[in-house]
Amino acid sequence: MDNIAGTRARLTWAVNLTAICLVVLWTIPTFGLLVSSFRNADQIASSGWWDALFATQSVDYKRAEGADAQVREGDTYVIAGDLLQDGKLSSWGISSRAPAAYQPGEVVDVDEGQQLTVQEDGSYRITSSNRFEGRRGMRIFLTTSVPPDFTLENYDRVVTAEGLGRAFLNTMTVTIPATVIPILVAAFAAYALAWMQFPGRAILVACVVGLLVVPLQVSLIPLLKLHNAIGLGKGYMGIWLAHTAFGLPLAIYLLRNYMVGLPKEVIESARVDGATEFQIFRRIILPLSFPALASFAIFQFLWVWNDLLVATVFLGNSQDQLVMTGVLRELLGSRGGDWEILAASAFISISVPLIVFFAMQKYLVRGLLAGSVKGG
Amino acid sequence: MKKLLTLSCAVCALSGSVALSQDLVFEPGDDDRFDWDSYNALKSDEFAGQSIRVFGPWLGQDRVLVESVIDYFEAATGITVDYSGSDSFEQQVVIDAEAGSPPDIGVFPQPGLAAELARKGQLKPLAEGTEHWIVDNYAAGESWAQYGNYLGPDGETHQYGFPFKADVKSLVWYVPENFEDAGYEVPETMEDLKTLTEQIAEDGETPWCIGLGSGGATGWPATDWVEDMMLRNNSPEDYDAWVKNELPFDDPKVIAAIEDYGWFSRQDDFVSGGAQAIASIDFRDSPKGLFDFPPQCYLHKQASFIPSFFPDGVEIGTDVDFFYLPAYADKDLGQPVLGAGTIFAQLTDNPVNAAFFEFLESPIAHEVWMAQRGFLTPYTKANADVYGDPTLKKMGDILTSATTFRFDGSDLMPGSIGAGAFWTGMVDYASGKSARDVAQQIQQQWNTLK
Amino acid sequence: MEQFIYAAGTILVGVFACVTWFWGSNFILDSMYPARGAHAGRNIKRANLIRPWLFLGPALLILGTYLVYPVADSIWRSLHDADGAEWVGMANYRWLASDPKFRESILNNLMWLVVVPSLSTFFGLLVAQITDRLRWGSFAKSMIFMPMAISFVGAGVIWKFVYDYRGADQEQIGLLNALWTGMGFDPQTWLTLPFWNNFFLMAVLIWIQTGFAMVILSAALRGISEETIEAAILDGANPWQLFFRIKVPQIWGTIAVVWTTITIVVLKVFDIVFVMTNGQWGTQVLANFMYDWMFRGSPDYGRGSAIALVIMILVLPIMIWNIRNARREMN
Repeated sequence: MDNIAGTRARLTWAVNLTAICLVVLWTIPTFGLLVSSFRNADQIASSGWWDALFATQSVDYKRAEGADAQVREGDTYVIAGDLLQDGKLSSWGISSRAPAAYQPGEVVDVDEGQQLTVQEDGSYRITSSNRFEGRRGMRIFLTTSVPPDFTLENYDRVVTAEGLGRAFLNTMTVTIPATVIPILVAAFAAYALAWMQFPGRAILVACVVGLLVVPLQVSLIPLLKLHNAIGLGKGYMGIWLAHTAFGLPLAIYLLRNYMVGLPKEVIESARVDGATEFQIFRRIILPLSFPALASFAIFQFLWVWNDLLVATVFLGNSQDQLVMTGVLRELLGSRGGDWEILAASAFISISVPLIVFFAMQKYLVRGLLAGSVKGG
Repeated sequence: MKKLLTLSCAVCALSGSVALSQDLVFEPGDDDRFDWDSYNALKSDEFAGQSIRVFGPWLGQDRVLVESVIDYFEAATGITVDYSGSDSFEQQVVIDAEAGSPPDIGVFPQPGLAAELARKGQLKPLAEGTEHWIVDNYAAGESWAQYGNYLGPDGETHQYGFPFKADVKSLVWYVPENFEDAGYEVPETMEDLKTLTEQIAEDGETPWCIGLGSGGATGWPATDWVEDMMLRNNSPEDYDAWVKNELPFDDPKVIAAIEDYGWFSRQDDFVSGGAQAIASIDFRDSPKGLFDFPPQCYLHKQASFIPSFFPDGVEIGTDVDFFYLPAYADKDLGQPVLGAGTIFAQLTDNPVNAAFFEFLESPIAHEVWMAQRGFLTPYTKANADVYGDPTLKKMGDILTSATTFRFDGSDLMPGSIGAGAFWTGMVDYASGKSARDVAQQIQQQWNTLK
Repeated sequence: MEQFIYAAGTILVGVFACVTWFWGSNFILDSMYPARGAHAGRNIKRANLIRPWLFLGPALLILGTYLVYPVADSIWRSLHDADGAEWVGMANYRWLASDPKFRESILNNLMWLVVVPSLSTFFGLLVAQITDRLRWGSFAKSMIFMPMAISFVGAGVIWKFVYDYRGADQEQIGLLNALWTGMGFDPQTWLTLPFWNNFFLMAVLIWIQTGFAMVILSAALRGISEETIEAAILDGANPWQLFFRIKVPQIWGTIAVVWTTITIVVLKVFDIVFVMTNGQWGTQVLANFMYDWMFRGSPDYGRGSAIALVIMILVLPIMIWNIRNARREMN
């Protein structure tokens, strides 16, 4: 008995450990992006996100003031000032080749008759026996330790982006009907394909599978042409229909396979009791299929929510037609490359799907449990 | 009654334009460097109240800038312009044109696709005389006119495209003070540039930052290099023949140009990160090495738009500067300049379009953008004094004083070459394939198009 | 606001229209052929002949217009030249057969087809099983599911960040290179490594699709009746036997569905390759190759359509397998 308990404990350990490993492996890339979304562009480019919590050494230069700022002290001309607002420097230099050549407090010959010294707190003093010339101040390289710094600026830029509110409404307008309609249409079709006997059923099932693979890109031109021809043009009606159609094969496929697995006896006995097919569907199949309906709803919601291509083709591109993904894309500018904005916008755009997922999860689990009690 | 209606329409158009003019970036009449006469000359209410759709690749900052220019058109004519931008512009304009719902005016970043649409009859020729106008008013006008001159479905060439906004490509960026620290001089000839490159490498530093990464368009920065080397090794006529494939891609002259670029990019000591890495470094990140201390590199060749990817706070002229990618002293090929431009073309017969192109021909349309940032124009009547900063002016001078001006050849080649095989070929070249193999592979692809 | 009312209106109208159609048509059918009276038997037979098509009607209509019609259009286009003007017969397919890029794409696609569905399903099943009895199981599931919620573009960014490369003398900001150099190796440009770069791209899709597999499979696992499991435990089955001998066979159908679905996602995989390498360095896949020809440079819709048809033909084995399955269910 002890032995069994021991194995079980070890197994529990192993299960926990594997789960932890998998979760870590799966979240780390996203987590890196999350951390990056709180850093500014320079920080992202200069150190790994895992270093975000530690102070980093940064080498940069500040310009001393130009000749305008010189003061005459006896025979010497002096330019003095402060290079750092706060913090300390660990070393400094005057050439880009050796930016950390000198210690704080060291006095260095810069040029003929010119001497420079920089203190730990960043105050500097250039002295010269001759008058300084030139408006541009000299570069002084500083090695400083930068404390970890997080910023909300990226999120601020995304949230306050022009037209984001409008785009949110647009996305919702696109997403909700485009999620509800295909489920309804698919549920009936799936039931017919799962529980009704008629010639050509197998072929139809196969066709649905075949249609799953139709590449989206193929249908864009013919469909937009069709929409233009029948006067639908670009608008919400068109995009709902398009999303419905693109989601339908997967919906039918998933739901049919779920419904096929439902207990035969329940349906047969209902038939014997004289229930019409419609009643069977509504009273038995629909409630039992809830988990499958819910999981498909989540997938369809995510897919529509994250879509940009279908939206720009069927809805259009102008300011008041943009969906969220469009606005976020716009923030990145025509040449892209702003990772900090990309990071922040990625998190803003996944927040809604995640909320939906967590909200639905409760129903999902409840539905699943109900299914397992009745099913088998 | 009808009169009254027209009158009230004119009034509302007028009041509309008054309301709009308050949003203009430069108050009309205020600054006499601008050609306000050309603005006033545009005023008309012939099409007031109508609207056109303009679709282009510009997003973000660029969209704000182009809209600030369009504002003047709207204010002057009462026409509403609905500009929208997309980073998948090329795909969408194809879909929209095919499906029969094209925008009125498209802004093509490269002429290849515009030429393709023209051939299919999806572009409409511009008004008579546009070609003459470009020849007469643009510096190197013949070249610019050619840039928008395509074969139509009728088998004849027409002026379909109106070039607006130019880029100079033959620029090398450097940090002047890093040069001073190391005692380097700005080279005047290609020979000097090569000596400088060797010297920097001998000093134990890295001369060049090169990055070819650009997502779906990875490889294009290298095509600019090759084109610049083409113009510095061969005559402009050879260049033109090459672009038209009359000079085959695997001709020794072309291979020599690729190898001349390879002289810089294929030696591990010469490029930051090593020769193998350049294809995976994003072109947007590559100039950042100039601003590291100690510097990752001392030189970076890229077009005039690159400052938008410099770190924040970098001041052009002080912290960083550029010089013209010099020509060989002993080849006597003059001072060739490589450039590119954006093309406006109409996709519908909407009569309002003409008013918009008329606007693009007015100096004010150019000056408003010049006075802000990121805009160069070959338009000689636009006042160069309005350039927003001296750097732009310096680039503008390079553009207008070139002895030979040629367009980005990859833009002029058929799309599947210039925006396909040439790019991937350059990626292959970066990862070690020989110039001959790469050139042959591109030529083979070109053969399949014939 | 107006727009929202419009949207809410559509949902209501849409749902109402659907319900009316299904309920109404069934009602009419039932009153035309009542399952009572003199001809009950004949009526039921007739009604059962018509009824499936009432249920299937809307779906078939939408699928026909939005998917079948474009497919037919592509077949037509693939037999024509770039403009769709001139009949070229099989020329586009002959071109495909001789194009080295096409060969590369199809080989890569086959590789994807082997690796991604199997690993996604495997990880999905693993997660579904082990998180089932963990107290923090639903949290773990949510974390694994999270990549599903991220758009392909977002996923591309995240993984570019992981694979980022800096020269050996610089500080690495990409996780993989940081670990790699931490172990004392030279940094690598992962996405350009010949052959292996394909697997770095596949990792992204596996990362996304595991969440899908997990959700569906964990629903199926919960569907297994308690009695079966308890009986097995009483028989002295150890956890491994329980899983492989009892649970897996029970949900075999669902595993097949998951496998099929992911296989089809793989056939269509486009965004990941497009965002990360655009098919360069030997990572081309069919969907991206098709996109290149349809919309890039000088678009050739004929060739693009030919590639699309190859993608669709590749799904045939799965279709046949499904026909056989469906036939078996009927008997």
